[in-house]
Amino acid sequence: MRHALRSYGLLLRWNLLRLRSMLPLLVVLQTLLSVGVVIGFSFLMPDADRITGFYLSTGALVLGLITVGMVAAPQLVAQAKLTGIFDYQRSMPVPRLAMLAADATVWVALALPGLVAALGVAVLRFDLDLRISWLVAPAMLLIAVCSVAIGYAIAYAARPEVAGAMSQLIFFVALMFAPINFPADRLPGWLAEAHEWLPFASMAQAVRETLQIPAAGISAAPFTMLLIWCVAGLAVTYRVMTHRP
Amino acid sequence: MLLRIQELTKDYRRGVRANHDISLTLDQGQVLGLFGHNGAGKTTLLNQVAGLVRPTSGTIHIDGADVAADPALARRSCSLQPQAQAPIDGVTPRQAIDIMARIRGAGRRRARRRTDALLEALDIGAWADTPGQKLSGGVRRLTAFGMAAAEPGRIVMLDEPTNDVDPVRRRLLWEQIIALADSGCAVLVVTHNVVEAERSMTRLAVLNHGRLVAEGTPAQLRHDYADRLRLELVAVDDETAIRLEAEAGGPGEAVRTGRRVVVPIDAAAAGEALSWAQRERVQGRVEEFSVTPVSIEEVYIGLVGPDAAGTEEGDRAARVT
Repeated sequence: MRHALRSYGLLLRWNLLRLRSMLPLLVVLQTLLSVGVVIGFSFLMPDADRITGFYLSTGALVLGLITVGMVAAPQLVAQAKLTGIFDYQRSMPVPRLAMLAADATVWVALALPGLVAALGVAVLRFDLDLRISWLVAPAMLLIAVCSVAIGYAIAYAARPEVAGAMSQLIFFVALMFAPINFPADRLPGWLAEAHEWLPFASMAQAVRETLQIPAAGISAAPFTMLLIWCVAGLAVTYRVMTHRP
Repeated sequence: MLLRIQELTKDYRRGVRANHDISLTLDQGQVLGLFGHNGAGKTTLLNQVAGLVRPTSGTIHIDGADVAADPALARRSCSLQPQAQAPIDGVTPRQAIDIMARIRGAGRRRARRRTDALLEALDIGAWADTPGQKLSGGVRRLTAFGMAAAEPGRIVMLDEPTNDVDPVRRRLLWEQIIALADSGCAVLVVTHNVVEAERSMTRLAVLNHGRLVAEGTPAQLRHDYADRLRLELVAVDDETAIRLEAEAGGPGEAVRTGRRVVVPIDAAAAGEALSWAQRERVQGRVEEFSVTPVSIEEVYIGLVGPDAAGTEEGDRAARVT
Protein backbone atom coordinates (compact mmCIF):
# COMPACT_ATOMS: atom_id res chain seq x y z
CA MET A 1 0.00 0.00 0.00
CA ARG A 2 2.83 2.40 0.88
CA HIS A 3 4.51 1.57 -2.39
CA ALA A 4 1.28 2.32 -4.24
CA LEU A 5 0.77 5.66 -2.48
CA ARG A 6 4.38 6.68 -3.02
CA SER A 7 4.13 5.70 -6.68
CA TYR A 8 0.87 7.65 -6.98
CA GLY A 9 2.49 10.80 -5.59
CA LEU A 10 5.52 10.55 -7.83
CA LEU A 11 3.49 9.73 -10.93
CA LEU A 12 1.20 12.66 -10.20
CA ARG A 13 4.26 14.91 -10.04
CA TRP A 14 5.53 13.37 -13.27
CA ASN A 15 2.16 14.02 -14.96
CA LEU A 16 2.03 17.60 -13.76
CA LEU A 17 5.56 18.23 -14.97
CA ARG A 18 4.81 16.73 -18.38
CA LEU A 19 1.52 18.57 -18.84
CA ARG A 20 2.73 21.78 -17.20
CA SER A 21 2.88 23.71 -20.44
CA MET A 22 -0.50 22.42 -21.62
CA LEU A 23 -2.50 22.54 -18.40
CA PRO A 24 -3.25 26.28 -18.32
CA LEU A 25 -4.49 26.15 -21.91
CA LEU A 26 -6.64 23.08 -21.18
CA VAL A 27 -8.12 24.70 -18.06
CA VAL A 28 -8.96 27.86 -19.99
CA LEU A 29 -10.47 25.91 -22.90
CA GLN A 30 -12.47 23.69 -20.61
CA THR A 31 -13.77 26.65 -18.60
CA LEU A 32 -14.70 28.54 -21.75
CA LEU A 33 -16.48 25.48 -23.05
CA SER A 34 -18.52 24.95 -19.88
CA VAL A 35 -19.44 28.61 -19.60
CA GLY A 36 -19.96 28.78 -23.37
CA VAL A 37 -22.56 26.02 -23.32
CA VAL A 38 -24.60 27.96 -20.74
CA ILE A 39 -24.35 31.27 -22.59
CA GLY A 40 -24.56 29.80 -26.08
CA PHE A 41 -27.76 27.90 -25.38
CA SER A 42 -29.32 30.98 -23.89
CA PHE A 43 -28.83 32.60 -27.33
CA LEU A 44 -30.38 29.56 -28.97
CA MET A 45 -33.35 29.73 -26.61
CA PRO A 46 -33.73 33.37 -25.59
CA ASP A 47 -37.02 32.79 -23.79
CA ALA A 48 -35.85 29.87 -21.74
CA ASP A 49 -38.00 29.39 -18.71
CA ARG A 50 -36.61 28.39 -15.37
CA ILE A 51 -36.86 24.67 -16.02
CA THR A 52 -35.13 24.94 -19.39
CA GLY A 53 -32.51 27.18 -17.81
CA PHE A 54 -31.95 24.66 -15.07
CA TYR A 55 -31.51 21.85 -17.60
CA LEU A 56 -29.08 23.93 -19.64
CA SER A 57 -27.02 24.92 -16.60
CA THR A 58 -26.73 21.45 -15.11
CA GLY A 59 -26.18 20.08 -18.62
CA ALA A 60 -23.22 22.44 -19.05
CA LEU A 61 -21.59 20.96 -15.96
CA VAL A 62 -22.06 17.41 -17.19
CA LEU A 63 -20.85 18.28 -20.68
CA GLY A 64 -17.77 19.88 -19.14
CA LEU A 65 -16.93 16.68 -17.30
CA ILE A 66 -17.65 14.55 -20.36
CA THR A 67 -15.39 16.75 -22.48
CA VAL A 68 -12.49 16.31 -20.13
CA GLY A 69 -12.95 12.61 -19.39
CA MET A 70 -14.25 11.20 -22.65
CA VAL A 71 -12.78 13.60 -25.22
CA ALA A 72 -9.57 15.26 -24.01
CA ALA A 73 -8.23 12.34 -21.95
CA PRO A 74 -8.62 9.65 -24.63
CA GLN A 75 -7.18 11.96 -27.26
CA LEU A 76 -4.06 12.45 -25.17
CA VAL A 77 -3.82 8.71 -24.54
CA ALA A 78 -4.15 8.07 -28.29
CA GLN A 79 -1.37 10.56 -28.88
CA ALA A 80 0.75 8.86 -26.20
CA LYS A 81 0.24 5.54 -27.97
CA LEU A 82 1.41 6.98 -31.28
CA THR A 83 4.52 8.59 -29.81
CA GLY A 84 5.62 5.56 -27.80
CA ILE A 85 5.05 7.20 -24.41
CA PHE A 86 2.47 4.55 -23.66
CA ASP A 87 5.00 1.73 -23.96
CA TYR A 88 7.48 3.70 -21.93
CA GLN A 89 5.03 4.06 -19.07
CA ARG A 90 4.17 0.40 -19.22
CA SER A 91 7.75 -0.47 -18.36
CA MET A 92 7.72 1.56 -15.14
CA PRO A 93 7.89 -0.47 -11.92
CA VAL A 94 4.70 0.95 -10.41
CA PRO A 95 1.30 -0.54 -9.59
CA ARG A 96 -0.99 -0.09 -12.59
CA LEU A 97 -3.77 1.30 -10.42
CA ALA A 98 -1.46 4.00 -9.05
CA MET A 99 -0.74 5.00 -12.63
CA LEU A 100 -4.43 5.14 -13.48
CA ALA A 101 -5.25 7.10 -10.31
CA ALA A 102 -2.49 9.64 -11.01
CA ASP A 103 -3.87 10.20 -14.51
CA ALA A 104 -7.45 10.48 -13.31
CA THR A 105 -6.49 13.01 -10.63
CA VAL A 106 -5.07 15.37 -13.23
CA TRP A 107 -8.18 15.13 -15.39
CA VAL A 108 -10.63 15.61 -12.55
CA ALA A 109 -8.67 18.57 -11.19
CA LEU A 110 -8.59 20.02 -14.68
CA ALA A 111 -12.39 20.00 -14.87
CA LEU A 112 -13.01 21.74 -11.52
CA PRO A 113 -12.49 25.42 -12.44
CA GLY A 114 -14.86 25.05 -15.40
CA LEU A 115 -17.51 23.47 -13.18
CA VAL A 116 -17.45 26.30 -10.68
CA ALA A 117 -17.39 28.99 -13.38
CA ALA A 118 -20.26 27.44 -15.33
CA LEU A 119 -22.38 27.08 -12.22
CA GLY A 120 -21.73 30.71 -11.26
CA VAL A 121 -22.63 31.98 -14.72
CA ALA A 122 -25.75 29.80 -14.83
CA VAL A 123 -27.02 31.09 -11.49
CA LEU A 124 -26.63 34.68 -12.74
CA ARG A 125 -27.97 34.11 -16.25
CA PHE A 126 -31.00 32.01 -15.41
CA ASP A 127 -31.57 33.38 -11.95
CA LEU A 128 -31.49 29.87 -10.48
CA ASP A 129 -32.63 29.18 -6.99
CA LEU A 130 -30.62 26.13 -5.90
CA ARG A 131 -31.14 23.80 -2.97
CA ILE A 132 -27.74 22.13 -2.91
CA SER A 133 -27.14 18.79 -1.21
CA TRP A 134 -23.78 17.83 0.26
CA LEU A 135 -23.96 14.90 -2.14
CA VAL A 136 -23.09 17.26 -4.98
CA ALA A 137 -19.36 16.83 -4.34
CA PRO A 138 -19.34 13.02 -4.43
CA ALA A 139 -21.74 13.15 -7.40
CA MET A 140 -19.41 15.39 -9.42
CA LEU A 141 -16.44 13.26 -8.44
CA LEU A 142 -18.21 10.08 -9.46
CA ILE A 143 -19.24 11.59 -12.81
CA ALA A 144 -15.69 12.82 -13.43
CA VAL A 145 -14.10 9.49 -12.54
CA CYS A 146 -16.74 7.64 -14.56
CA SER A 147 -16.04 9.83 -17.60
CA VAL A 148 -12.31 9.29 -17.31
CA ALA A 149 -12.80 5.54 -16.79
CA ILE A 150 -14.93 5.21 -19.92
CA GLY A 151 -12.66 7.54 -21.89
CA TYR A 152 -9.58 5.56 -20.89
CA ALA A 153 -11.26 2.25 -21.63
CA ILE A 154 -11.93 3.45 -25.18
CA ALA A 155 -8.47 4.94 -25.61
CA TYR A 156 -6.71 1.87 -24.25
CA ALA A 157 -8.78 -0.73 -26.02
CA ALA A 158 -9.18 0.90 -29.44
CA ARG A 159 -6.62 1.89 -32.06
CA PRO A 160 -5.58 5.58 -31.75
CA GLU A 161 -7.49 6.67 -34.88
CA VAL A 162 -10.63 4.83 -33.79
CA ALA A 163 -10.38 6.25 -30.27
CA GLY A 164 -10.14 9.77 -31.71
CA ALA A 165 -13.23 9.28 -33.85
CA MET A 166 -15.18 7.68 -31.00
CA SER A 167 -14.46 10.55 -28.64
CA GLN A 168 -15.85 12.97 -31.23
CA LEU A 169 -18.94 10.83 -31.60
CA ILE A 170 -19.48 10.67 -27.84
CA PHE A 171 -19.34 14.44 -27.59
CA PHE A 172 -21.80 14.82 -30.45
CA VAL A 173 -24.24 12.34 -28.90
CA ALA A 174 -23.88 13.88 -25.44
CA LEU A 175 -24.48 17.38 -26.77
CA MET A 176 -27.41 16.74 -29.10
CA PHE A 177 -28.96 13.34 -28.52
CA ALA A 178 -28.70 12.67 -24.80
CA PRO A 179 -31.14 13.80 -22.13
CA ILE A 180 -28.53 16.05 -20.58
CA ASN A 181 -29.68 19.50 -21.67
CA PHE A 182 -33.36 18.56 -21.96
CA PRO A 183 -35.75 16.00 -20.46
CA ALA A 184 -35.71 12.47 -21.84
CA ASP A 185 -39.36 12.61 -22.95
CA ARG A 186 -38.40 14.83 -25.89
CA LEU A 187 -36.41 12.00 -27.42
CA PRO A 188 -37.92 9.25 -29.59
CA GLY A 189 -38.93 6.26 -27.49
CA TRP A 190 -36.16 3.94 -28.59
CA LEU A 191 -33.47 6.53 -27.90
CA ALA A 192 -34.90 7.39 -24.51
CA GLU A 193 -34.88 3.68 -23.71
CA ALA A 194 -31.27 3.35 -24.81
CA HIS A 195 -30.39 6.18 -22.48
CA GLU A 196 -31.70 4.20 -19.56
CA TRP A 197 -28.61 2.04 -19.99
CA LEU A 198 -26.10 4.64 -21.12
CA PRO A 199 -24.35 6.80 -18.51
CA PHE A 200 -25.30 10.25 -19.85
CA ALA A 201 -28.83 10.48 -18.42
CA SER A 202 -27.63 9.26 -15.03
CA MET A 203 -24.88 11.84 -14.98
CA ALA A 204 -27.33 14.63 -15.71
CA GLN A 205 -29.88 13.38 -13.21
CA ALA A 206 -27.30 13.08 -10.43
CA VAL A 207 -26.20 16.68 -11.00
CA ARG A 208 -29.77 18.02 -11.21
CA GLU A 209 -30.93 16.27 -8.07
CA THR A 210 -27.94 17.21 -5.94
CA LEU A 211 -28.18 20.87 -6.96
CA GLN A 212 -31.95 21.10 -6.61
CA ILE A 213 -33.06 18.45 -4.15
CA PRO A 214 -36.42 17.07 -5.36
CA ALA A 215 -39.32 16.69 -2.99
CA ALA A 216 -39.06 12.90 -3.17
CA GLY A 217 -35.38 13.04 -2.27
CA ILE A 218 -32.27 12.22 -4.27
CA SER A 219 -32.64 8.91 -6.06
CA ALA A 220 -29.95 6.28 -5.76
CA ALA A 221 -30.48 4.77 -9.24
CA PRO A 222 -28.23 7.19 -11.17
CA PHE A 223 -25.45 6.70 -8.65
CA THR A 224 -25.71 2.93 -9.01
CA MET A 225 -25.69 3.18 -12.80
CA LEU A 226 -22.63 5.44 -12.74
CA LEU A 227 -20.83 3.10 -10.36
CA ILE A 228 -21.45 0.19 -12.72
CA TRP A 229 -20.12 2.16 -15.71
CA CYS A 230 -17.18 3.34 -13.66
CA VAL A 231 -16.20 -0.18 -12.61
CA ALA A 232 -16.70 -1.48 -16.15
CA GLY A 233 -14.52 1.27 -17.59
CA LEU A 234 -11.80 0.73 -15.01
CA ALA A 235 -11.92 -3.03 -15.53
CA VAL A 236 -11.43 -2.70 -19.29
CA THR A 237 -8.62 -0.17 -18.79
CA TYR A 238 -6.91 -2.31 -16.19
CA ARG A 239 -7.23 -5.37 -18.39
CA VAL A 240 -5.61 -3.61 -21.34
CA MET A 241 -2.95 -2.07 -19.11
CA THR A 242 -1.84 -5.39 -17.73
CA HIS A 243 -2.30 -7.34 -20.94
CA ARG A 244 0.87 -8.78 -22.42
CA PRO A 245 0.69 -9.53 -26.13
CA MET B 1 23.23 -16.80 -12.89
CA LEU B 2 21.26 -13.55 -12.79
CA LEU B 3 19.38 -13.92 -16.06
CA ARG B 4 18.66 -17.29 -17.61
CA ILE B 5 16.65 -17.54 -20.80
CA GLN B 6 15.81 -21.07 -21.92
CA GLU B 7 14.36 -22.19 -25.22
CA LEU B 8 12.41 -18.99 -25.58
CA THR B 9 10.00 -18.76 -28.49
CA LYS B 10 7.61 -15.94 -29.26
CA ASP B 11 4.93 -16.14 -31.93
CA TYR B 12 2.84 -13.07 -32.54
CA ARG B 13 -0.79 -13.42 -33.41
CA ARG B 14 -0.36 -13.00 -37.13
CA GLY B 15 1.93 -15.98 -37.20
CA VAL B 16 5.16 -14.01 -37.08
CA ARG B 17 7.81 -15.93 -35.16
CA ALA B 18 9.87 -13.14 -33.56
CA ASN B 19 12.02 -15.33 -31.31
CA HIS B 20 12.85 -18.94 -32.05
CA ASP B 21 14.27 -21.24 -29.39
CA ILE B 22 16.65 -18.73 -27.82
CA SER B 23 18.78 -19.76 -24.85
CA LEU B 24 21.00 -17.18 -23.26
CA THR B 25 22.50 -16.41 -19.87
CA LEU B 26 23.81 -13.22 -18.37
CA ASP B 27 25.48 -12.70 -15.03
CA GLN B 28 26.06 -9.63 -12.94
CA GLY B 29 29.04 -7.58 -14.01
CA GLN B 30 28.63 -8.60 -17.64
CA VAL B 31 27.73 -6.48 -20.64
CA LEU B 32 26.05 -8.45 -23.42
CA GLY B 33 25.75 -6.89 -26.84
CA LEU B 34 22.74 -7.99 -28.86
CA PHE B 35 23.07 -7.61 -32.62
CA GLY B 36 20.86 -8.34 -35.56
CA HIS B 37 19.14 -6.70 -38.50
CA ASN B 38 15.88 -4.79 -38.07
CA GLY B 39 13.13 -7.23 -37.22
CA ALA B 40 15.59 -9.89 -36.02
CA GLY B 41 13.70 -10.10 -32.72
CA LYS B 42 15.94 -8.07 -30.43
CA THR B 43 13.30 -5.75 -29.02
CA THR B 44 10.85 -8.62 -28.61
CA LEU B 45 13.47 -10.44 -26.54
CA LEU B 46 14.00 -7.38 -24.34
CA ASN B 47 10.27 -6.84 -23.90
CA GLN B 48 9.79 -10.42 -22.76
CA VAL B 49 12.53 -10.09 -20.15
CA ALA B 50 10.97 -6.80 -18.99
CA GLY B 51 7.57 -8.46 -18.57
CA LEU B 52 5.83 -6.49 -21.31
CA VAL B 53 5.40 -9.38 -23.73
CA ARG B 54 4.40 -12.92 -22.81
CA PRO B 55 6.59 -15.73 -24.17
CA THR B 56 4.82 -18.35 -26.30
CA SER B 57 7.06 -21.05 -24.85
CA GLY B 58 10.29 -21.32 -22.91
CA THR B 59 11.28 -19.71 -19.63
CA ILE B 60 12.94 -16.56 -18.34
CA HIS B 61 14.40 -16.65 -14.84
CA ILE B 62 15.81 -13.66 -13.03
CA ASP B 63 17.75 -14.74 -9.97
CA GLY B 64 15.89 -18.04 -10.05
CA ALA B 65 12.39 -16.52 -10.19
CA ASP B 66 10.16 -17.15 -13.20
CA VAL B 67 9.34 -13.67 -14.51
CA ALA B 68 7.08 -14.82 -17.30
CA ALA B 69 4.61 -15.68 -14.53
CA ASP B 70 5.25 -12.49 -12.55
CA PRO B 71 5.57 -9.43 -14.81
CA ALA B 72 5.57 -7.04 -11.83
CA LEU B 73 8.75 -8.73 -10.58
CA ALA B 74 10.23 -8.36 -14.05
CA ARG B 75 9.49 -4.64 -14.09
CA ARG B 76 11.10 -4.21 -10.68
CA SER B 77 14.18 -6.22 -11.63
CA CYS B 78 14.78 -4.61 -15.01
CA SER B 79 15.28 -1.04 -16.00
CA LEU B 80 14.63 -0.55 -19.67
CA GLN B 81 15.64 2.24 -21.99
CA PRO B 82 13.26 1.71 -24.92
CA GLN B 83 14.21 2.49 -28.47
CA ALA B 84 11.55 5.21 -28.74
CA GLN B 85 12.53 8.60 -27.40
CA ALA B 86 11.61 9.14 -23.75
CA PRO B 87 8.46 11.19 -23.04
CA ILE B 88 10.17 14.26 -21.64
CA ASP B 89 8.41 17.13 -23.39
CA GLY B 90 8.03 19.83 -20.77
CA VAL B 91 10.37 18.04 -18.39
CA THR B 92 14.04 18.89 -17.96
CA PRO B 93 16.74 16.17 -17.97
CA ARG B 94 17.37 16.87 -14.28
CA GLN B 95 13.70 16.45 -13.37
CA ALA B 96 13.28 13.38 -15.57
CA ILE B 97 16.29 11.50 -14.21
CA ASP B 98 15.56 12.50 -10.62
CA ILE B 99 11.88 11.51 -10.64
CA MET B 100 12.55 8.25 -12.48
CA ALA B 101 15.20 7.36 -9.87
CA ARG B 102 12.60 8.04 -7.18
CA ILE B 103 9.90 6.04 -8.99
CA ARG B 104 12.40 3.17 -9.11
CA GLY B 105 12.76 3.43 -5.34
CA ALA B 106 15.61 5.82 -4.57
CA GLY B 107 15.28 8.22 -1.64
CA ARG B 108 15.19 11.96 -2.27
CA ARG B 109 18.85 12.59 -1.48
CA ARG B 110 20.17 9.55 -3.27
CA ALA B 111 18.13 10.42 -6.38
CA ARG B 112 19.54 13.93 -6.44
CA ARG B 113 23.09 12.68 -5.99
CA ARG B 114 22.77 10.12 -8.78
CA THR B 115 21.15 12.68 -11.08
CA ASP B 116 23.96 15.19 -10.58
CA ALA B 117 26.58 12.48 -11.07
CA LEU B 118 25.03 11.23 -14.32
CA LEU B 119 24.47 14.71 -15.76
CA GLU B 120 28.14 15.38 -15.17
CA ALA B 121 29.43 12.01 -16.33
CA LEU B 122 27.47 12.26 -19.61
CA ASP B 123 28.48 15.91 -20.00
CA ILE B 124 24.92 17.18 -20.45
CA GLY B 125 24.98 19.57 -17.49
CA ALA B 126 24.60 22.52 -19.87
CA TRP B 127 21.07 21.30 -20.76
CA ALA B 128 20.18 19.99 -17.31
CA ASP B 129 17.42 22.55 -16.88
CA THR B 130 16.23 22.85 -20.48
CA PRO B 131 12.76 21.41 -21.17
CA GLY B 132 12.74 18.22 -23.22
CA GLN B 133 11.09 19.61 -26.36
CA LYS B 134 14.03 21.98 -26.83
CA LEU B 135 16.70 19.28 -26.57
CA SER B 136 18.55 17.65 -29.44
CA GLY B 137 17.95 13.96 -30.14
CA GLY B 138 21.30 13.05 -28.63
CA VAL B 139 20.70 14.83 -25.33
CA ARG B 140 17.21 13.33 -25.12
CA ARG B 141 18.71 9.88 -25.68
CA LEU B 142 21.33 10.46 -22.97
CA THR B 143 18.60 11.67 -20.64
CA ALA B 144 16.66 8.47 -21.32
CA PHE B 145 19.78 6.50 -20.46
CA GLY B 146 20.05 8.49 -17.22
CA MET B 147 16.42 7.66 -16.45
CA ALA B 148 17.18 3.95 -16.77
CA ALA B 149 20.56 4.09 -15.04
CA ALA B 150 19.98 6.44 -12.10
CA GLU B 151 18.44 3.77 -9.87
CA PRO B 152 19.04 0.72 -12.04
CA GLY B 153 17.34 -2.63 -11.66
CA ARG B 154 19.54 -5.68 -11.35
CA ILE B 155 19.28 -6.02 -15.10
CA VAL B 156 19.65 -2.93 -17.26
CA MET B 157 18.43 -3.21 -20.85
CA LEU B 158 19.31 -0.50 -23.33
CA ASP B 159 17.73 -0.51 -26.78
CA GLU B 160 20.02 1.38 -29.15
CA PRO B 161 21.24 3.84 -26.51
CA THR B 162 23.90 5.46 -28.71
CA ASN B 163 21.54 6.55 -31.52
CA ASP B 164 21.83 10.29 -32.25
CA VAL B 165 24.63 10.68 -29.69
CA ASP B 166 27.81 12.48 -30.77
CA PRO B 167 31.09 10.49 -30.81
CA VAL B 168 32.56 12.18 -27.72
CA ARG B 169 29.52 11.62 -25.54
CA ARG B 170 29.14 8.13 -26.98
CA ARG B 171 32.40 7.25 -25.23
CA LEU B 172 31.13 8.77 -22.01
CA LEU B 173 27.98 6.71 -22.41
CA TRP B 174 29.95 3.47 -22.85
CA GLU B 175 31.95 4.36 -19.74
CA GLN B 176 28.71 4.63 -17.80
CA ILE B 177 27.46 1.34 -19.22
CA ILE B 178 30.63 -0.35 -17.99
CA ALA B 179 30.26 1.43 -14.65
CA LEU B 180 26.77 -0.08 -14.31
CA ALA B 181 28.21 -3.54 -14.86
CA ASP B 182 31.02 -2.85 -12.41
CA SER B 183 28.46 -1.85 -9.80
CA GLY B 184 26.88 -5.31 -10.07
CA CYS B 185 24.22 -4.94 -12.76
CA ALA B 186 23.88 -7.24 -15.73
CA VAL B 187 23.64 -5.04 -18.82
CA LEU B 188 22.04 -6.00 -22.12
CA VAL B 189 22.66 -3.56 -24.96
CA VAL B 190 21.01 -3.64 -28.37
CA THR B 191 23.18 -1.79 -30.86
CA HIS B 192 24.14 -1.71 -34.50
CA ASN B 193 27.57 -0.30 -33.93
CA VAL B 194 29.52 -3.53 -33.86
CA VAL B 195 32.98 -2.00 -33.79
CA GLU B 196 32.21 0.42 -30.99
CA ALA B 197 30.46 -2.23 -28.95
CA GLU B 198 33.31 -4.69 -29.23
CA ARG B 199 35.46 -2.49 -27.03
CA SER B 200 32.96 -2.43 -24.18
CA MET B 201 31.15 -5.75 -24.33
CA THR B 202 31.95 -8.83 -22.32
CA ARG B 203 29.95 -10.98 -24.72
CA LEU B 204 28.17 -10.63 -28.02
CA ALA B 205 25.05 -12.38 -29.25
CA VAL B 206 23.79 -12.26 -32.81
CA LEU B 207 20.13 -12.77 -33.72
CA ASN B 208 19.09 -13.54 -37.27
CA HIS B 209 15.41 -13.96 -38.17
CA GLY B 210 14.55 -14.65 -34.55
CA ARG B 211 17.25 -17.26 -33.97
CA LEU B 212 20.41 -16.92 -31.94
CA VAL B 213 23.09 -17.65 -34.54
CA ALA B 214 26.20 -16.87 -32.49
CA GLU B 215 27.11 -16.06 -28.95
CA GLY B 216 30.42 -15.62 -27.13
CA THR B 217 33.22 -13.23 -26.33
CA PRO B 218 34.52 -11.12 -29.23
CA ALA B 219 37.62 -13.35 -29.32
CA GLN B 220 35.49 -16.50 -29.52
CA LEU B 221 33.41 -15.10 -32.34
CA ARG B 222 36.51 -14.19 -34.25
CA HIS B 223 38.00 -17.61 -33.68
CA ASP B 224 36.44 -19.22 -36.74
CA TYR B 225 38.00 -16.48 -38.75
CA ALA B 226 41.48 -16.75 -37.18
CA ASP B 227 43.03 -17.94 -40.45
CA ARG B 228 41.22 -15.32 -42.48
CA LEU B 229 42.47 -11.91 -43.56
CA ARG B 230 40.78 -9.20 -45.53
CA LEU B 231 42.21 -7.54 -48.62
CA GLU B 232 40.80 -4.11 -49.16
CA LEU B 233 41.21 -2.49 -52.57
CA VAL B 234 40.28 0.99 -53.74
CA ALA B 235 39.73 0.90 -57.51
CA VAL B 236 40.19 3.89 -59.79
CA ASP B 237 36.52 3.95 -60.71
CA ASP B 238 33.26 2.08 -60.10
CA GLU B 239 33.47 0.01 -63.29
CA THR B 240 36.91 -1.28 -62.41
CA ALA B 241 35.69 -2.03 -58.91
CA ILE B 242 32.87 -4.16 -60.33
CA ARG B 243 35.40 -6.05 -62.49
CA LEU B 244 37.76 -6.57 -59.53
CA GLU B 245 34.89 -7.85 -57.43
CA ALA B 246 34.16 -10.46 -60.08
CA GLU B 247 37.78 -11.44 -60.61
CA ALA B 248 38.79 -11.75 -56.96
CA GLY B 249 39.00 -15.36 -55.78
CA GLY B 250 39.15 -16.56 -52.20
CA PRO B 251 37.21 -18.42 -49.54
CA GLY B 252 34.32 -15.96 -49.40
CA GLU B 253 32.46 -13.52 -51.57
CA ALA B 254 34.00 -10.13 -52.26
CA VAL B 255 31.89 -7.15 -51.20
CA ARG B 256 31.95 -3.90 -53.13
CA THR B 257 30.87 -0.48 -51.86
CA GLY B 258 31.43 2.18 -54.50
CA ARG B 259 35.08 2.01 -55.48
CA ARG B 260 36.00 -0.01 -52.42
CA VAL B 261 36.23 -3.80 -52.69
CA VAL B 262 36.82 -6.05 -49.69
CA VAL B 263 37.97 -9.60 -50.43
CA PRO B 264 38.24 -12.25 -47.71
CA ILE B 265 41.45 -14.26 -48.15
CA ASP B 266 43.12 -17.22 -46.47
CA ALA B 267 46.10 -16.20 -44.36
CA ALA B 268 48.18 -18.84 -46.20
CA ALA B 269 47.40 -17.21 -49.53
CA ALA B 270 48.20 -13.69 -48.35
CA GLY B 271 51.42 -13.49 -50.38
CA GLU B 272 49.69 -14.45 -53.58
CA ALA B 273 46.90 -11.97 -52.95
CA LEU B 274 49.36 -9.19 -52.24
CA SER B 275 51.20 -9.85 -55.52
CA TRP B 276 47.91 -9.78 -57.42
CA ALA B 277 46.92 -6.49 -55.79
CA GLN B 278 50.34 -5.01 -56.51
CA ARG B 279 50.06 -6.06 -60.19
CA GLU B 280 46.66 -4.39 -60.43
CA ARG B 281 48.12 -1.27 -58.88
CA VAL B 282 51.00 -1.18 -61.35
CA GLN B 283 48.47 -1.53 -64.17
CA GLY B 284 46.71 1.52 -62.78
CA ARG B 285 43.45 -0.24 -61.91
CA VAL B 286 43.90 -0.01 -58.13
CA GLU B 287 44.73 3.18 -56.28
CA GLU B 288 45.62 1.62 -52.95
CA PHE B 289 45.22 -1.65 -51.04
CA SER B 290 45.76 -3.09 -47.58
CA VAL B 291 45.59 -6.44 -45.78
CA THR B 292 44.19 -6.57 -42.24
CA PRO B 293 42.74 -9.18 -39.85
CA VAL B 294 39.01 -9.80 -40.13
CA SER B 295 37.02 -7.24 -38.13
CA ILE B 296 34.19 -8.18 -35.81
CA GLU B 297 31.89 -6.34 -38.22
CA GLU B 298 32.78 -8.84 -40.93
CA VAL B 299 32.23 -11.70 -38.55
CA TYR B 300 28.78 -10.26 -37.98
CA ILE B 301 28.10 -9.82 -41.68
CA GLY B 302 29.37 -13.36 -42.23
CA LEU B 303 26.80 -14.61 -39.73
CA VAL B 304 23.74 -12.75 -40.95
CA GLY B 305 24.72 -12.43 -44.62
CA PRO B 306 25.58 -9.29 -46.59
CA ASP B 307 21.96 -8.87 -47.69
CA ALA B 308 20.64 -8.34 -44.18
CA ALA B 309 23.48 -5.92 -43.53
CA GLY B 310 22.78 -4.09 -46.77
CA THR B 311 19.08 -3.79 -46.00
CA GLU B 312 20.07 -2.58 -42.59
CA GLU B 313 22.23 0.20 -44.00
CA GLY B 314 19.41 1.18 -46.32
CA ASP B 315 16.90 1.26 -43.48
CA ARG B 316 19.22 3.31 -41.35
CA ALA B 317 19.82 5.81 -44.11
CA ALA B 318 16.09 6.07 -44.75
CA ARG B 319 15.43 6.65 -41.07
CA VAL B 320 18.06 9.35 -40.75
CA THR B 321 16.76 11.37 -43.70
